[in-house]
Amino acid sequence: MIVTSLIRAFHFALQGFWRNIWLSVVTVIILVLTLFSVSMVGGVNVVAREVVSSIENKIDVSVYFNPDVDQQEIQNIQYRFESLRSVDNVTLVSKEEAERRFRERHVNDPEIIQSLDELEENPLGATLVIKAKNIEDYPLILEMLEDPDYAELIENSNFDDNQVITDRLSDIASRVQRIGMLVTGVFVLISILIIFNTIRITIYTHREEIGIMKLVGASNWFIRFPFVLESILYAFIAVLFSMALLYPFVHVVSPYIATLFEGYDFNLLQYFTSHLLSIMLLQLVIAMGLSVISSAVAVGKYLKV
Amino acid sequence: MISFRGVSKIYPPNVTALKDVDLVIQPGEFVSIVGQSGTGKTTLAKLIIAEQRPTRGKVVIGDWDITNIKAGEIPILRRQIGVVFQDFKLLPRKTLFENVAFALEVAGMQRKRIATIVPQVLKIVGLEGKMDRFPREVSGGEQQRAVIARALVHRPKILVADEPTGNLDAINAHDIIELLRKINEFGTTIVLVTHNREIVNMLHKRVVTIDQGMVISDQKTGRYLL
Ligand SMILES: Nc1ncnc2c1ncn2[C@@H]1O[C@H](COP(=O)(O)OP(=O)(O)OP(=O)(O)O)[C@@H](O)[C@H]1O
Ligand SMILES: [Mg+2]
Repeated sequence: MIVTSLIRAFHFALQGFWRNIWLSVVTVIILVLTLFSVSMVGGVNVVAREVVSSIENKIDVSVYFNPDVDQQEIQNIQYRFESLRSVDNVTLVSKEEAERRFRERHVNDPEIIQSLDELEENPLGATLVIKAKNIEDYPLILEMLEDPDYAELIENSNFDDNQVITDRLSDIASRVQRIGMLVTGVFVLISILIIFNTIRITIYTHREEIGIMKLVGASNWFIRFPFVLESILYAFIAVLFSMALLYPFVHVVSPYIATLFEGYDFNLLQYFTSHLLSIMLLQLVIAMGLSVISSAVAVGKYLKV
Repeated sequence: MISFRGVSKIYPPNVTALKDVDLVIQPGEFVSIVGQSGTGKTTLAKLIIAEQRPTRGKVVIGDWDITNIKAGEIPILRRQIGVVFQDFKLLPRKTLFENVAFALEVAGMQRKRIATIVPQVLKIVGLEGKMDRFPREVSGGEQQRAVIARALVHRPKILVADEPTGNLDAINAHDIIELLRKINEFGTTIVLVTHNREIVNMLHKRVVTIDQGMVISDQKTGRYLL
């Protein structure tokens, strides 16, 4: 009996959809626009987050030691920093490695190589590259390096500060997002109004049936359910269309987005396809939420049963 | 049994449609409710199906006090009372069969059972050959028979008919009344609201006359008074 009723409610909902087909089309379009703009905001969010973290990834402190500092001493300092909670990792570039890199860098510069060869000892010191877990942790690390005990050991330290760039990027991203939210808000509002109105009109076109249904003892949920179902149908169709639009869109913009990431592997298209299910689910939740709420209000208001 | 005890109905702000109505209708009775326009006949019918609530007094159907019936229980009541109201015509886009079946569909009955019950009921009202026609393809009298079939399809114990002969010519009206009489003989209680003097006089059944919201006469085998 429940199954039969569900099938009938579904049939009734489909009828509502077809009888006002143009209204249905408009409803779906506005829902698609809403979902699309929500997705854009989400997309900007993802890209911004990835860009910032890709830049943050490049930030580190390089500590250059005097060439005559003992290997053991350097290692002690490495351990000390490694044991800090705010430090992600510390890499040691040994004297030999430093020389190798130096030679590599100046391979086309025989004069420099020659002068290096002439020296008996390796003039280059070892380097420690310290990477913190968060940008905020660097000041502390730098302060520790100021320690007078280290003064004789350390030639200089170099903090590669990309903070300014990341700040600016975050700023732009948040501004884009604020505009996106505003646009989305407007679309959400319009969707609510349109769905509300569509369901109201569907109720009006079905008023004779509804009257008879009441009179012959249809239960309240049986009368109301098709209208809510109809709005759920709009949500489903809208999600399908929005995904169908989003895919080629992401496909087109993905290469441009990739140019924002130098030496950092980020592929928006790949991100999109690997998160396809959750993106779709999220859209469904949003679309359903919008439709069910606005149709329920319309049903409550215009379908006195 | 239908019982009205001291029932008054005042439509806001102050239209008194019924005033202190006491009325008991026994199972299997055929009662005609007559009276001038605007005296509260339709209101009385609507109280029986809980489309309106009494302002004062008590309405009982069977042993169910529906005076303050909950909204969720109204459908259960409606499936036990067949209703023929003028403003609830057939759905023009459905065939006669589909119109009658609709009443069972919305109550959640299986298709198979609908397919056996509906032709039986359409046969009772004499429409067995016209099941697949649309309302506009049959006469007004036949349309009204289909409406009655729709009201009967739940096998109600009570049938409330408000002006079922309203738009029909004398012959068709007569046929409809004969149909109601037949249904009554099967054991269904009939409450017939009508203006039609000839019909009431011909029926030789109980007649309740209402005037300005009050029952002014109740005769066992009455005639049309006013
Ligand atoms: N829903 C309503 N709201 C307000 N007043 C109403 C409503 N329904 C009926 N009335 C009023 O109540 C009174 C009784 O109406 P009702 O429809 O019961 O009369 P009736 O006897 O059926 O008349 P008729 O023979 O013309 O059908 C009338 O004055 C009418 O205007
Ligand atoms: Mg009336």
